Amino acid sequence: MWIFEVLGFGQKGWGGLLIVAALMTLCVTTVALIIGAILGTMVAAAKLSGNKFLRTLGNIYTTVFRGVPELLIIYLIYFGGSGAVTAIGRYLGYEGFLGLPSFAAGALAVGIISGAYQAEVYRGAFLAIPKGELEAAEAIGMHRGLRFRRIIAPQVLRFAIPGIGNVWQLSLKDSALVSVTGLADLMRTSQVAAGSTRQYLLFFVVGGCLYLVLTALSDRLFTGAERRANRSMPSSFSQA
Amino acid sequence: MDFAFLFQTMKTLLAAVPMTLALFFLSIFFGGLLALLIVWMRVAKNPVVRNFAKGYIFVFRGSPLLIQMFLVFYGLGQFGFIRYSFLWPFLREPFVCAVLSLALCTGGYTAEIFRGGLRAVPAREIEAARSIGMSGFLLVRRIIGPIAFRHALPAYSTEIVMMVKSTALASLVTVWEVTGVAQRLISQTYRTMEVFLCAAAIYLVLNFLILQATALLEHRLSRHRRAAPRLP
Amino acid sequence: MLQDQQIDNATATANRLSVRNIRKSFGELEVLRGISLEAHDGDVISILGSSGSGKSTFLRCINLLEIADEGEIWVDGEQIQMVKKQGKNIPVSSRQVDHIRAELGMVFQSFNLWSHMTILQNLIEGPVHVLKRPRAECIAEAEALLEKVGIAEKRHAYPAHLSGGQQQRAAIARSLAMKPKVMLFDEPTSALDPELVGEVLRVMRSLAEEGMTMLVVTHEMSFARNVSNRVIFMREGQIDSDGAPETMFSDAASPAFRQFIGSFRG
Repeated sequence: MWIFEVLGFGQKGWGGLLIVAALMTLCVTTVALIIGAILGTMVAAAKLSGNKFLRTLGNIYTTVFRGVPELLIIYLIYFGGSGAVTAIGRYLGYEGFLGLPSFAAGALAVGIISGAYQAEVYRGAFLAIPKGELEAAEAIGMHRGLRFRRIIAPQVLRFAIPGIGNVWQLSLKDSALVSVTGLADLMRTSQVAAGSTRQYLLFFVVGGCLYLVLTALSDRLFTGAERRANRSMPSSFSQA
Repeated sequence: MDFAFLFQTMKTLLAAVPMTLALFFLSIFFGGLLALLIVWMRVAKNPVVRNFAKGYIFVFRGSPLLIQMFLVFYGLGQFGFIRYSFLWPFLREPFVCAVLSLALCTGGYTAEIFRGGLRAVPAREIEAARSIGMSGFLLVRRIIGPIAFRHALPAYSTEIVMMVKSTALASLVTVWEVTGVAQRLISQTYRTMEVFLCAAAIYLVLNFLILQATALLEHRLSRHRRAAPRLP
Repeated sequence: MLQDQQIDNATATANRLSVRNIRKSFGELEVLRGISLEAHDGDVISILGSSGSGKSTFLRCINLLEIADEGEIWVDGEQIQMVKKQGKNIPVSSRQVDHIRAELGMVFQSFNLWSHMTILQNLIEGPVHVLKRPRAECIAEAEALLEKVGIAEKRHAYPAHLSGGQQQRAAIARSLAMKPKVMLFDEPTSALDPELVGEVLRVMRSLAEEGMTMLVVTHEMSFARNVSNRVIFMREGQIDSDGAPETMFSDAASPAFRQFIGSFRG
C-alpha cells in the first residue's frame, strides 16, 4: 500500500513531518494569540479611554487590521520587517540582505490581526460588566490597579472566552497564510509533500484533516472553559 | 514622500481592482446559492441529508481557505473523470478554481449565518401563515425568507467583508488581483510601506462601500422596527 | 473669625461625619444646592425626598463616587483634602479618597455584588486586598457576619443564585466586613419584591440597635419613623426640614413634608 508508505513514519513517509508541522502551526498561533492579547488589551483600553486622540488611534487600528487582507499584512511584516532588519544591519556595518525569521514575522503578523479582533472582544466584555460592580469596588476603597486586577480583569476574561475562542479559530486558519514566508507549518509541509510526491489530492486532504482536528479540539477546549467560567451565572445563562 | 511613486503604484493597483471585484461578486453569488441549498439540507428531516450538510459546514469552516483552494487547483486534475470530462478546459483555469473554492468556502459560513436567521423566525408567525393556507415554497418566499434574511443581515455583512479579504488568496493560484499585484510591486521595488498603504486604502474603500450598501439595505428592511410615522 | 473656624473644626473632628455646604451640578442642572449635615456617633439618619430631590447624589458625594463641586467633608475627624480647579473641587490625593471610602460602608439599591465571586469571596475581598489583613482572620469574621445576617449557608454560592433579599443582606455584610465608621444606604430596599423587604429592614434595624452610625436614603416610612433617631427631608437639592421622627411625623412638620408623606398613604 503506497498510501501507508508516503503517509507513514518510515524513511519515505511524511507522517512525522506532518505531525511536527501541525505542532508548528499550533506554536505560531499560540504566540500570535499572546501578541494579540497584549495588543488587543492596549487597543481596547485606547478605544474605551476618554482621550479623543487615543480613541481615534484605536479605531484606525481595528478598522485597518480587520479590513485589509491577511496576506497583505503578512507581506507588510515580512518584507517590511526584513527591510528594517537589513537597514539596521547596514548601519552596524553588515552588507547584504538580512531576512526577518519567518516564524517571528508570521507570529507577529497573525498577532497584529488577532489583536484587532481581540480588542473588539475585550471592549465588548468590559462594557458587559455591570457598572454597579465597578462602583462597589470604588466604594470599598479599591484603587485603580486593584480594581483592574480583582474586578475588571477576571470578569472581562469570563465574558471574553467565547470571543477569544472565535479569534483563536480565526488565527489558526490565518496561520496557514504564513506558509508564504517559507515557514514549515502544516500548510507549507502539505504543499511540499504534495509537490514532491505528486500526490496533491492526498496531501491536501490529509493536511486539511489535520487542521480539522486542531479546530475541533480547540473548540472543545473553549466550550469547556466557557462552561467553567460561567459557573457563577444562573443556570439559564450557562445553557444559552 | 514620493508622490510620483505612490501615484504610479495606485494606478497599477487600481488596474487589478476589476479582477478583485469579479472574484468577489461571482463567489458571493454562487456561495449564496450554495448556502441556500446547504441550509435547506441542514434543516431537513432526513438524517442523512442533515448530517451531510453538518459535515459540509464543519469541513469548510474548520479548515483554512488556502488548503481548500490548493486542493481544488492542484487536486481536481487527479480525478480521471474530471480530467477527461468536458469541464476540464474550464476547471483548468486558475480564475475558475479560485471562484469555485471561494464559493465553496463562503457557502459553509453563509449557511450557518442563514440558519441563525431562520432560528430567529417566530413560530407563531409561521403558524399564522399556515392558518391562511400558505405552505411550501410560498411560505418560505413570503414569510420565512424575508424575516430570516433581515435577522441574518448583520452577520452576513461581516461575512461579505471577510470575502473581500479572502479574494487575496487567489493570487497564490496565479490570479492577479490587487494583493497579488501588490506583492509583485513589493518584490520589485522593496518599498513595502508605500505599496501596502495604497493596497490597504483600496480594500478599506471597498469595505466601506459594501458596509454602506448593507447598512442601507438593513435600514430599508427594518421599517417595521422604527417608530411609526407621525400623521400630519 | 479664626477662633470661630477653630471651634467649628473642633465639632467636625468630634463628629462621625460632618458635611458642610455641599454643592453639585451636572451641566446646567444644580442637583445639590448647599447641604450640611452633622452625624454623631450612633446616629441613624433617614433621608427622605421624592425622586430628583438629590438625596442619592448627596450620598454618593459623601463617599466620593461623585465629587461635590463645593463644600467640605469630614469623616471621623479627618477632612478630605480638596483643591479648586476651574471653580470645582478635585481631591488632592487619590490615596486619601480610597482610605476614606474604606471607612464608609456603602449599600447600593442594586446590591452590586461582584458576580464572579462567591458570597464569602465578596466579603473578604475588601479586608484582604484593601486593608491587607490576614486571610484566615477575615474568613472567620466574614462567616460570623454571614451568620448575623442569616445567610451563612449561602457562603459558597454565587450572587446570581441568591434571591434579591439575600443578595442585599450579603451586600450589607460585605460593607460591614470593612468595619466602617459610618454606613451609607442608598435606597436599599427599592429594588426588592415587597415580601423580601422585611428581611433586609430587620438586618438594618439590628445594626442600628448596636449603635452603628447610619445614613439611609429610603422610601420606607416605617423605618424612618421607628428606627431612625433623625429624619431629613430633602426637596429640590436643599434640606427642607430636619428633626426627630416624633416632631417630623407630627402636625408640626413642614407643609411640603406633610404633602410628601400624604402621597405615600395614597
